[in-house]
Amino acid sequence: VDAAGELYDRHNERIFRYVWARVREEQTAEDLTGEVFTRMVGNLAGYRTTSVPFQAWLYRIAHNLIVDHYRKQGNRMLVPLAQAEQVREEGNSPASIVEQRVALGQVQEALEALEPSQGEVIALRFLVGMPLREVALTLDKSIAAVKGLQYRGLITLREQLGLE
Amino acid sequence: MMPKQDQNLPEDTLQQRLEQLEAGVPLDVCLKDLSQQDRELLKMAATLREAPSPARDPSIVSAQRAQVVRLMGQQHRPKSQTSRAEEETGLASLWNWLRPRRAYVGVAGAVMVLFTCALVAFLALWLLRGMSPEVEVADSPAEEQAIAEASPVASEKERVTQFPSPEPTGDESGIESPLQVPTPEPAYTAYMPVVSGQGARDPEHATLQEIRGLVQVQRNDGAWGPVREKKTVAAGWGVRTGALSSAVLTFYDGSVARLGPNSEVWLDELDARQADGPRLVALTQRMGETEHDVAASTAAGSSYQVRTASSLGEAKGTRFRVQVPQDDLARFNVDRGVVAVTGQDVTVDVVAGQSTTVVAGEPPDAPTFRITGEGEVTQTGATWIIAGQPFETHAGTHFVGDPQIGDWVLVEGRLMGEDVRVADRIVLLRDASANRFTITGSVETMGRAEWAVAGQTIMVDENTSTEGDVQIDSLVRVEGVILKDGVLLAERIRLLDDAPGLPFGFTGIVQGIADETWIISGIIINVDDATTVDAGIAIGDIVNVRGWILQDGRWLARTIRHVSDPERSFAFTGEVENIAPWVVGGVPFQIRDWTEIEPGIQIGDLVSVEGRILEDGTWVASEIVLVDEDEDEDLLRVVFVGEVDDIDPWTVSGISLTVNEATAIQGDIAVGDRVKVTVTILPDGTWLATRIELVDKKDGGLGCVTITAVVVGTGSGWVEVPNRPRINLEGVTVEGDLQVGSVIVMVVCVDEDGSITIERIIVIYNPEPIKPPPPPSPPETDQDHKVTVCHKPNGKNPHSITIARSALEAHLNHGDTLGPCK
Repeated sequence: VDAAGELYDRHNERIFRYVWARVREEQTAEDLTGEVFTRMVGNLAGYRTTSVPFQAWLYRIAHNLIVDHYRKQGNRMLVPLAQAEQVREEGNSPASIVEQRVALGQVQEALEALEPSQGEVIALRFLVGMPLREVALTLDKSIAAVKGLQYRGLITLREQLGLE
Repeated sequence: MMPKQDQNLPEDTLQQRLEQLEAGVPLDVCLKDLSQQDRELLKMAATLREAPSPARDPSIVSAQRAQVVRLMGQQHRPKSQTSRAEEETGLASLWNWLRPRRAYVGVAGAVMVLFTCALVAFLALWLLRGMSPEVEVADSPAEEQAIAEASPVASEKERVTQFPSPEPTGDESGIESPLQVPTPEPAYTAYMPVVSGQGARDPEHATLQEIRGLVQVQRNDGAWGPVREKKTVAAGWGVRTGALSSAVLTFYDGSVARLGPNSEVWLDELDARQADGPRLVALTQRMGETEHDVAASTAAGSSYQVRTASSLGEAKGTRFRVQVPQDDLARFNVDRGVVAVTGQDVTVDVVAGQSTTVVAGEPPDAPTFRITGEGEVTQTGATWIIAGQPFETHAGTHFVGDPQIGDWVLVEGRLMGEDVRVADRIVLLRDASANRFTITGSVETMGRAEWAVAGQTIMVDENTSTEGDVQIDSLVRVEGVILKDGVLLAERIRLLDDAPGLPFGFTGIVQGIADETWIISGIIINVDDATTVDAGIAIGDIVNVRGWILQDGRWLARTIRHVSDPERSFAFTGEVENIAPWVVGGVPFQIRDWTEIEPGIQIGDLVSVEGRILEDGTWVASEIVLVDEDEDEDLLRVVFVGEVDDIDPWTVSGISLTVNEATAIQGDIAVGDRVKVTVTILPDGTWLATRIELVDKKDGGLGCVTITAVVVGTGSGWVEVPNRPRINLEGVTVEGDLQVGSVIVMVVCVDEDGSITIERIIVIYNPEPIKPPPPPSPPETDQDHKVTVCHKPNGKNPHSITIARSALEAHLNHGDTLGPCK
């Protein structure tokens, strides 16, 4: 029982960060974060049959919940480019974004303008801090594919943030 | 190592640099030689990593955690059908495993089967390990343990190691015979299905975790013995730690007590309930240092007490430390919340950021604010200057590691009115690293005062130690300091001829002694006939051990020596098994901001690690460098740290360097900066620099301290604390709600020129506002727009009804009363 708490302590902040980056609403992110760990408890017995790292397994749960969330909401994860354009116009000069600290809210909006798998890779790699290999395992993609998504995702993100 | 733009695809190059960045290489180093676009991408990636998350509501986090724990408890409950007594024994656990599977075999048969399985599994894993990379399932051993415990299936595992595991000596003692070698950390891991019920499974037990060094328990029968990870203890038990040792006691309600080195604690009362009643925990601390993180409990009558010979501290939902340096003295330091400290029937409330001392027979001192930090020592004596701040020392100041001027230390102390700082503890973290060298080569001449090694003149004196039978033509490694004018003075000369492996050396506590195997600070050390061992070494002693790490990974000791005043340093060489957290050659250690890490280190590389051992046994690396496996190059390699005298031409610590286009220069280096230089000495005596990397900027600062204070005034953009001018908050990061009465921690940094900057202010405690009693409100139903009234139709037959709040006035007007009928 203590161990479940330990696993929660170890991962909850980064799971929340990942979920929040994808859904943008704090309350929804909290709800989904709680659900991730509820499912973790329910499926822990089955975890041992997998060969993925535990963290990757946990993020798969989170990823699936996010997809379910959008499916239930009937929303698409993509937003019109106009919204991304708005990001640039809200008084955030390119220099201030890079030289100061990027507000996660701006990144969230820009992330939504990315192709979904690029967005996933960027969120996991840089907002969660997951190593490339684990991202590949989480998303069930090859390392080479993730490297490519990472590179193209950063280029697109840079464009969306008006940093080109 | 100079990062170079290679011929890889752009995404490969970017990923390589990202890995360097993640390994702690400074961004400016990672950016070198990248295309403009890739530089921008890398900078953006670095920025993304720092993007802040929204602040979360702690009550939501706490509720989520409680839900996870509750669900896990529900999942585990059906399996707990055995009696507690049965759970304590390995045989009962084995039976539990067998019973649901209807394996009607004799226990002896089962043991044989399990033993065979374990043996086969071990051999298979052993072979596999040598043939294929291991699949990393958990992120860390601790996580693996947590998953194993949390999973109802996975918990039916227990590690089997290549060493025989001693059986517990009693039904639930878990104490190992002090004459046996305790179970070492496994070099290879296999699993066998034996249940091990070692968690804090109920309020009346606590679990010992994160055991480092020598940790022992004593039961009521008086027997002390070392324990293993996950040992369960109960009221009446004592726990103690040796030097360089520590452990964590985890209670059922989530409270945690950490034991530092040389500490002893007894569990007087233990009923750590979570919600179904008051949490009662009472410990007696006889010596040492403990740190308590107490879970909040709303149950009436809850108590968490730490008793010492001189005092008693009681907390509810707080974090604090208790130091008992001697029998008749105790010090309470509070990091969060409030602790009521009592001595001689006088109680003082110690709030976050404060400290109080209690001498036996006297009431507690008035609480004072604490000051802690890390920084460079620029003055010693009665008054030390650390991170630019003066600290008075006293008879009770505890020094660890003999820190000197120029060293980097941790300081803990108190503010004693009028801005006087008193240091209670000063711990050496890093030696002044300037002007040191290492050189590997053949001995050409050996004189009384000077030797020649690899063409270089090396001075020796009475402090130079020589290890091994060094002769002319012997291959040796020399370590020492670079004196003025570039003179090399040897501190240590080690014979490398016929070396069976790579050298290691460290100071640690003896945990186990057997004929061919010792356990020293958790590391398995092999000894053979050639090992020199001081007489009389026993378990619990502090020793310095030196030897070789063999090709098969075993650590073979050449010498094991008693040390009375331990030089708490370590050095060893091994393969990088993990980065963040670092594990090299199976040894975990920590890094700090100031740890020098050679760029480009990746998992699988062979590295040399040097550092210091903290009081609790934690290893903190000061330097991690790649080991050049090309011996021909290594023979004439010099690595030293020194101050830059000039950069055109390059001169460092008086030594002229040849720098060419192949020299990797890392960092924005200027005259006066401290750099680390790697040199290949050419046959003509030229010192060709292969790498020059920045270690410290000349104006890199003397360090930072955190000062705790209480706010006496605040307004728009300013705050005031006692004995200081008004602080302008422009450019200062403020965390929390500043108000008069707030207890704050100020992070104060001092530059090389003495200028002081307040970087952050963190509110750690706010006094509870005095709230007026809330006005009486009508009793509400679940739906807050409805109320309950006692309905009296025509003044008869009163009964309770729930009505819409909008109808309340009308009901009251015809004689109904608010609230249910009585």
